[in-house]
Amino acid sequence: MNASFAMLTSSPEVLQSTRGGARVSAIGARAFLLEALGEFDLASQRRIWALSRAVEAWDDISEIVPGMTNLLVIFKEIPEDPEPPVTRILEAWDGARSIDLNGKTIEIEVCYGGEHATDLPALCDRSGLSDREVIRIHHEATYRVFALGSAPGFGYLHGLDPRIYMPRKTVPSINMARGCVTIGGMQTGVAVLTGPNGWNSIGFAELRMFDPSSATPAIMAPGDTVRFVPVRVEL
Amino acid sequence: MSQVDFTDPATIAELMAALEAAGVDGLQLERPDQGLRIILARGRPAVIRRPEGLAVAGASRTTVKAPIAGVFLTHDPSRPTTLHRSDDVEQGDIIGFLRIGPILVPLTAPASARIMRRVAEHGAIVGFGDPLFEIELQS
Amino acid sequence: MIEIIETGPFNTVQDLGRPGYRKIGVTASGAMDPFGLKIGNVLVGNAPGAAAIEVQTFPFRLRFTGPVVFTVTGADCGAKLDEHPLLPWCTHAADAGQALELGRPRTGARAYLCFAGGLDVEPVMGSRSTSLRGAFGGNGGRFLTATDRLALCAETSGHRPRAGISVVDPAFALADHLPTSDDGSLIIRALPAGEHDLFGNDAERFWTQIWQISSKSDRTGYRLSGEPVKPTTPVEMRSHGVVPGVIQVPPSGEPIVQMSDANTAGGYPKIAGVIDADLWRLGQARIGSRVRFVRATHREALDVEKAMTLFLDDVRVTCGMVTRALNTMA
Repeated sequence: MNASFAMLTSSPEVLQSTRGGARVSAIGARAFLLEALGEFDLASQRRIWALSRAVEAWDDISEIVPGMTNLLVIFKEIPEDPEPPVTRILEAWDGARSIDLNGKTIEIEVCYGGEHATDLPALCDRSGLSDREVIRIHHEATYRVFALGSAPGFGYLHGLDPRIYMPRKTVPSINMARGCVTIGGMQTGVAVLTGPNGWNSIGFAELRMFDPSSATPAIMAPGDTVRFVPVRVEL
Repeated sequence: MSQVDFTDPATIAELMAALEAAGVDGLQLERPDQGLRIILARGRPAVIRRPEGLAVAGASRTTVKAPIAGVFLTHDPSRPTTLHRSDDVEQGDIIGFLRIGPILVPLTAPASARIMRRVAEHGAIVGFGDPLFEIELQS
Repeated sequence: MIEIIETGPFNTVQDLGRPGYRKIGVTASGAMDPFGLKIGNVLVGNAPGAAAIEVQTFPFRLRFTGPVVFTVTGADCGAKLDEHPLLPWCTHAADAGQALELGRPRTGARAYLCFAGGLDVEPVMGSRSTSLRGAFGGNGGRFLTATDRLALCAETSGHRPRAGISVVDPAFALADHLPTSDDGSLIIRALPAGEHDLFGNDAERFWTQIWQISSKSDRTGYRLSGEPVKPTTPVEMRSHGVVPGVIQVPPSGEPIVQMSDANTAGGYPKIAGVIDADLWRLGQARIGSRVRFVRATHREALDVEKAMTLFLDDVRVTCGMVTRALNTMA
């Protein structure tokens, strides 16, 4: 046991362990969330990818869910004692060296502006940039898929230029269309479902990000590189 | 060794499974009070000779017997509304249960009838074929 | 084959869900009361995870187009077969043309219709569960409507399923392991989660107050109404994976419990996580009902889980034995 490294928080009944720049807490009795405490950057995420690869190989794992600089580990069975698995996850984190996933490059054709770009004017107001500049800054960047989640096949893309960061809306759009190219905080992505959505839409992509009948239902995978290719700009 | 009840379907089923697993085709057991012969016809239903089933006590009187060994219950203790209070029953009415572990086997009236006598007490352990109710069929 | 005659919205084909795809954003789905589903399937001789109909809006009616052995578990809906009342949690044999009807539940919220063989809809990503949000799985990714027809798989159990096999009410059998209250509220056990202590004094109030399940609750999550609880300072979280049972607190201070159609990711602070063994009980709680959360220990969560597993194993083994025995003598 490396108990000397582990620091239990104030309330003894709350299972929580911090060490080596990461914190592990429980959700119920068989799911444990490791959160990297450092910056929200590619370096942290690469270490999460390494951790994911290590943990996924354990045979008592039901599934893992990589998030944004964090990893949810779900065990098949409730462990007899929660401390050993928590220690095991933290040790795996200690041993996780930054890896770069050899992802593929996905080019997504986008129609910027137009009827789906409902939040482009607000983004211009906030950034003080013209609509053309916002669009140029968005499509000139190269993005990495950090993680998938929230909706089937939805990729959280990292690499957004800070000039066009835009907080999520407090009142979500009621019925945003699948395919909307959106900005949420310091991330960007393509809506995969039509429905309520709190991200800010600046364009539209035809590419379908998810096909449940496919052997690989999601087009994106963590580590992939994404580029947005402007095929049309309607202003 | 405790006495095995050869008339209990559960026992017979277990014996059959054991025969099948062992690759044996048949079995004959003899005791002063009862006997059992099982011949496994592979691919076809087994042939089983056993004591008589439902006995008829008279033209319109009959006995409801236990279809399996278990604990006789007048109602499902986890669902008190299953208690049938009346002596007059319709075909299909639930008149009691046999409990085997967590499983309950509902006992139903075979036809419109009047319950003349309740033979077994709530909570009594009964064997296969034990009489539970004497009923008089309504014409 | 069965044919739906009458149904409210949001009644779906469900099995035990499709875990394993959260990392690509796919909700696990599956029955809200997996315990009721498993027991129902075992009674009719199916594997515990065979697909069944989850009925949560009533009345519901269907017609059998051929002879089928079936059972109704979960909520007690006063099921009737051609007007003849049926014993709940018991197998019944229907003939071609007979109609099964479920009325408003007397207890519970969701009934499970399990058929010998299980529903034969196309599995998608390893499961027959309906994903309403993703619009795939189950009955074409949508809820059932009148005139829908569903096929059944060939029976696969070693024995012919049989009518007239019932099971004691699981809540009765497991009474020693289930908490009860004096005031009629549902007691649900939970473990404190990551941001619990950030709620300061409000954390204690989360455990002591009685919450009401709001009308804005569904298979995705239960929204709870009550005196808001808030963290002492605003919490900024990065999006992370979540599982059913997680209790998140959005800025309004009224908690949300994620259920079977839980989002795969979330970012609200988590105050607690319902233990797996109580999720089925929560899944049977109706809108408007009152809930109180009690703090459990990891050990308790484990012990209840084991008791439920033992009970299910006992039902499976005993049911198989009794069915074979009765079939032998029939």
